[in-house]
Amino acid sequence: MLIITRKPGEKIMLGDDVVIHVMEIVGNSVRVGIQAPRSLPVYREEIWDAVREENRAAASVAPDALPAPAPAA
Amino acid sequence: MSTVMTTFESTRFGTVELEPEAIVEFPAGLIGLGGTRYAVVATDPDAPFAWLHSLEEPGVALPVTNPWLHFADYAVELSDADTERVGASDDDQPAVWVTVRAASDLSGFSCNLRAPIVIWNGRGHQVINEAPDAPVRAPLFPEAATAPAA
Repeated sequence: MLIITRKPGEKIMLGDDVVIHVMEIVGNSVRVGIQAPRSLPVYREEIWDAVREENRAAASVAPDALPAPAPAA
Repeated sequence: MSTVMTTFESTRFGTVELEPEAIVEFPAGLIGLGGTRYAVVATDPDAPFAWLHSLEEPGVALPVTNPWLHFADYAVELSDADTERVGASDDDQPAVWVTVRAASDLSGFSCNLRAPIVIWNGRGHQVINEAPDAPVRAPLFPEAATAPAA
């Protein structure tokens, strides 16, 4: 992991296309701006993690818990 | 029957028949699962559940349901970025599915109202719903949870 120190107003580049903008620090919160190409979705980590967990749980359903699609004729 | 059917192999279901319209490209995959080619495979047209089946990984299939069958007042609000990604205009009616977490009994079934899967023009995106009251684990059969044990 790369650990660097930035001040409000400074930025970080991820490759050529993604810009992380440290906007302001208020108390124990940091406001961050993210510029990324449209093809790159940006998520809050806890939401991404919760959705990944649900996707994995959905995909691990027991074979007989739900009806199967009609078999090929 | 005039449509050209194709088939794919599923470790779960064996050989499954597929209409070409059922194939969906997910440019960004499903969150945390990856893979870009899936198909929506219905059990039968009236069934409450369908399967979102990977066409790349024969073992990956997620049960999905139409959220409005269970939550009549469900709403999906997308960020500008997600709206642009989905590509549907206000007059369009993209298909919306939510993933289903199955359980050993109905009271444990839930669906993910927070991250619906929106399909338009053969392309799918799992998006973050910004509407309030869109939990990641919404009970599908709340009445089963409160019913007295038989």
